[in-house]
Amino acid sequence: MFYRQAGIRYTSYPAERQLWPLGIERVLMGLILALALIAPALLSPLLLSSYLLPWVIWSIAALGLNLLMGGAGQIHLGYAAVMAIGAYSATHAARAGLPFELSLLVAGLASAVIGVIFGAAALRIRGLYLAIATLAMQYIVDFAIGHIPAISGGTQATVATPTPRILGIPVEGPVGGYYIALVVCIVVTLFMLNLRRTSFGRALAAIREKDYAAEILGISAFRYKLMAFWTSSFIGGVAGAILVFCYYRSVSPEQFHLETSVQLVAMVIVGGLGSVLGTFLGAALILLAPLALSALVASLASSGLPIGSDLRAHLPLVLYGALIVGFLIAEPLGLAKLYDNARKYLLVWPFRHARS
Amino acid sequence: MLTTIRAAACAALAALPLLAQPVMAQDKVLKFATPQDFTVVYTFVTAEYNQGYRDYITLINERGGLGGIKIDVLVSDHGNAIQRGMEAFERSTRDGAILVDPLSTPVSRALVTRALQDKVNLITTMSGRSDAADGTVFPYVLPMSPSYWSQVARMVDYIRQEEKDLKGKKLAYVYIDTPFGRESLPLWEALAKKDGFELQTYPYAPPGNEQSAVWTQVRRFRPDWVFIGGGGVGQPVSIKEAIRNGIRVDRIASWVWLSESDMDVVGRAEAKGVLKFAVTEQGADSKVIKDIIAEVVDKGKGAGPKDKVGTSYYNVGVMAAALAAEGARKALEKNPTGPFTGEWLNAGLTSISKFDLGGFLPPITITPEDHQGGGQGKVARWDGVKWVAVTGWGAANQDIIWEMIRKQAAEFKATGK
Amino acid sequence: MDLALFGELIINGALVGLMYALAALGIVLVYRTSGLANLAQGAIAMLGGYLGWITIAWLGLHPILGALVAMVVMFAIGLGIERTTLRPLIGQPVIMIIMVTIGLEILMRGLVPGLLGSGVKRLDLGISDAPLFLGDMLINRTYLVSAGIALIIILATLALFNSRIGIMLRAVSDDQTASWSVGIRVEWAIAFAWGLAAVTGTAAGILWGGSQGVDWTLSLLLIKALAIAILGGLDSIVGVVVAGLIVGVAEAIASGLFDPLVGGGTRDIVACVIILATLLVKPEGLFGREHIERV
Repeated sequence: MFYRQAGIRYTSYPAERQLWPLGIERVLMGLILALALIAPALLSPLLLSSYLLPWVIWSIAALGLNLLMGGAGQIHLGYAAVMAIGAYSATHAARAGLPFELSLLVAGLASAVIGVIFGAAALRIRGLYLAIATLAMQYIVDFAIGHIPAISGGTQATVATPTPRILGIPVEGPVGGYYIALVVCIVVTLFMLNLRRTSFGRALAAIREKDYAAEILGISAFRYKLMAFWTSSFIGGVAGAILVFCYYRSVSPEQFHLETSVQLVAMVIVGGLGSVLGTFLGAALILLAPLALSALVASLASSGLPIGSDLRAHLPLVLYGALIVGFLIAEPLGLAKLYDNARKYLLVWPFRHARS
Repeated sequence: MLTTIRAAACAALAALPLLAQPVMAQDKVLKFATPQDFTVVYTFVTAEYNQGYRDYITLINERGGLGGIKIDVLVSDHGNAIQRGMEAFERSTRDGAILVDPLSTPVSRALVTRALQDKVNLITTMSGRSDAADGTVFPYVLPMSPSYWSQVARMVDYIRQEEKDLKGKKLAYVYIDTPFGRESLPLWEALAKKDGFELQTYPYAPPGNEQSAVWTQVRRFRPDWVFIGGGGVGQPVSIKEAIRNGIRVDRIASWVWLSESDMDVVGRAEAKGVLKFAVTEQGADSKVIKDIIAEVVDKGKGAGPKDKVGTSYYNVGVMAAALAAEGARKALEKNPTGPFTGEWLNAGLTSISKFDLGGFLPPITITPEDHQGGGQGKVARWDGVKWVAVTGWGAANQDIIWEMIRKQAAEFKATGK
Repeated sequence: MDLALFGELIINGALVGLMYALAALGIVLVYRTSGLANLAQGAIAMLGGYLGWITIAWLGLHPILGALVAMVVMFAIGLGIERTTLRPLIGQPVIMIIMVTIGLEILMRGLVPGLLGSGVKRLDLGISDAPLFLGDMLINRTYLVSAGIALIIILATLALFNSRIGIMLRAVSDDQTASWSVGIRVEWAIAFAWGLAAVTGTAAGILWGGSQGVDWTLSLLLIKALAIAILGGLDSIVGVVVAGLIVGVAEAIASGLFDPLVGGGTRDIVACVIILATLLVKPEGLFGREHIERV
């Protein structure tokens, strides 16, 4: 009904390739953008700083990972280590007196350089082997960060991040941090949306489907795999820097352990491999569902529901595992597919079937 | 399609509680939040600690609260994840919590900046940074318990008394290779210099479920005493390996992280003689624990199984709750009308004076400058069935420790590290 | 560095390595039969350890009997895991399989301690802690017995693979369609492999539980198990034994030599370095069949 295709016609090639051909989707996008911009005024500080802000930041990171996993078909179980490199290099750069904007750039570049080293493994192995190799790298980066006092910050192993300054103006509090994260998120989202319309994106897709075939078509697997790791790690590094500057306000090794990597992969998979919208939805579900459940269980327990404290405390973990397993079995294409189904249904409504 | 609808329904259900409005805070209730790690690293302590904490608060409430004002404990799990710890911190302070006790070193470290900014009392009993004892730099971070530095110093002092003189003796510090285990290394070096003993340190990889290679080296060193510095699964493994490597059981010492269940894992009889630092009276014979059993547990209001009442970590939980409640009582004395904010409670907490809970605790005095409260404790020995105190309350080498505290706190102030 | 210290490190490291190898066996069994990644093996071992605790410490069965009961139950659980979560995902990309097993791992790590209690539990297998000296070298008695049992189980599995059932499993791993056409029930074979993986995981969980106590940290055996499986070759049972010995000895020597130098626990890093080195130099492992597609 709302998803009307009638009256859409193109008079130029660029028009035909626009991101959202349907009017309703453009309206929706505008609406979401507007809501995102005025969110600090609408939401309570708790919702903003504990739910919306981390959601936006984790979405940036998950988008970066999705570029690699969904776009280029490379498995990465060490993405948190890449973020850690960004977070630490940005923190130390900013503490050394570099402006915040440049520190973000340093974060991205440092992560990209080391991320490419991760990627070098992908030139030789793939699939399960690549997954295990990246897993091992995650542990090695963890170890290096934890055991070099110059990086981790000495006995207390926590380094406070300086207040970010945009053009010299200090940005304090969750609202400022939210806008920084939002701007980065919009940039990364636009990049990801446009990716599939570029030769780079198409080359990645070719490699994802079959790297031999891509090579025969004249796409250098060597070059594009490394480029995929470079780009994705750059985004990851920036996301890690944003995470510690705007949200954690301090950086410590525990923030970027293997669990974080697994969480990111879960976001991408539950959201839908290769889907931008799905990444946002996946990040929301994986991040917020356990939080929401522990809040729910806490309120149920205080109203006298007899569940043991051990079980109660473990329920969010159970739910988190169940979400991953359940989604993979029920809908391997993820949350993005759910939206796609609804959209396809509405496209032909009130009829049930049509050419999609 | 059916499966997708089902999945969508699941997703919607999961998102529901987000929309639910919080229960409005009632008047005349103080809220203490205990978001703690029930699931990941601190599993060995959290359940018992939290049970003791809640049981003591229930005891206060059953007796009519603090002059009619009841205390509400908000419990949640943060799984030692900073992300979730922060969320819990924000949520509970929004719900009106004026005191947060995360019982996790990484989470409390990450919360320090927030607590200082938001003026919420961050309690770091038996966790968190040792230098938070300096109240001038960390006004809202309150360990209110002997830091690991104080515990190590006390145990070394006990060893010195046992040996008469430590000159030429060999001490080994076997520790878990995390910031928590590494934190006391500078103190060990300072003590070795002062007392003249020979020190060797041996890190093992976390979580410490396999330490044989480390102990092979410890045995070569032929130490007179071994101090094991870990927590959780690594502790009983350390003791087992020490026994196996021919180290006398009564020459093994540790800090507060040894409990009855660790002794179970080693074997109660085999572990006879192990020493540890105790911050509270041991066992269920103290008056306050008997009161809890009579007035809370036996009335079916206990927060957990009865057989855990009076265990080491349960008693530590009681201690943390008692100090928090005493702080609130002091705050009410100072300013009975409120408003009941973090600042209000902080004034009370920092004026706790010679509080010993009927002998259950050493006399603890917290001032705006000293957030540690004296660093006193007993040395307790495992007699095969229970922990038995072998000394009275006492502290040692506090001058060295305060020098280190001031140095590190000043560093934090200067650099934010 | 005196020789006795060196010898002691090597012997105890080798024993520990064999115990790790038992945990790695489950990964190899599943990969060998079905080509699937099994990253849930750590949690399976944990669950097995808890079941062993139930039968031995709680119900008071004799350790051997209790372990057997736990293994039987776990065989059924292994079949169940395959039927409910792995079979629906046949034909999905590798990352899906990896993720579903990680999801299972998380699920079990929440559910099992949630239901049975998260505190460390004592599991007494009746092995004495008294030191056992070989010249000047101390051999860890628990590890010696456990490693012996681990070796027996691994050899039994190897024997099984040479029996009629084993030939069937090997046929399935060679070519599923061809096996189907000669009348082998492929689904059954894969399910059997998962059951077997659960059984060996249980043995690993119980043996490790006996030496460290039973709690969720048993699931951390995964990374060691992966290192061994990769080094030995993901489809080689002999490789598991050899790689287990290598990883165990390397870890022990590394913590003997490097820990004092870097002032940290280097043990975990050794496993990771072994993984990386193997994958970059000889991805199929020491004894694996060379059928990996190189890029």
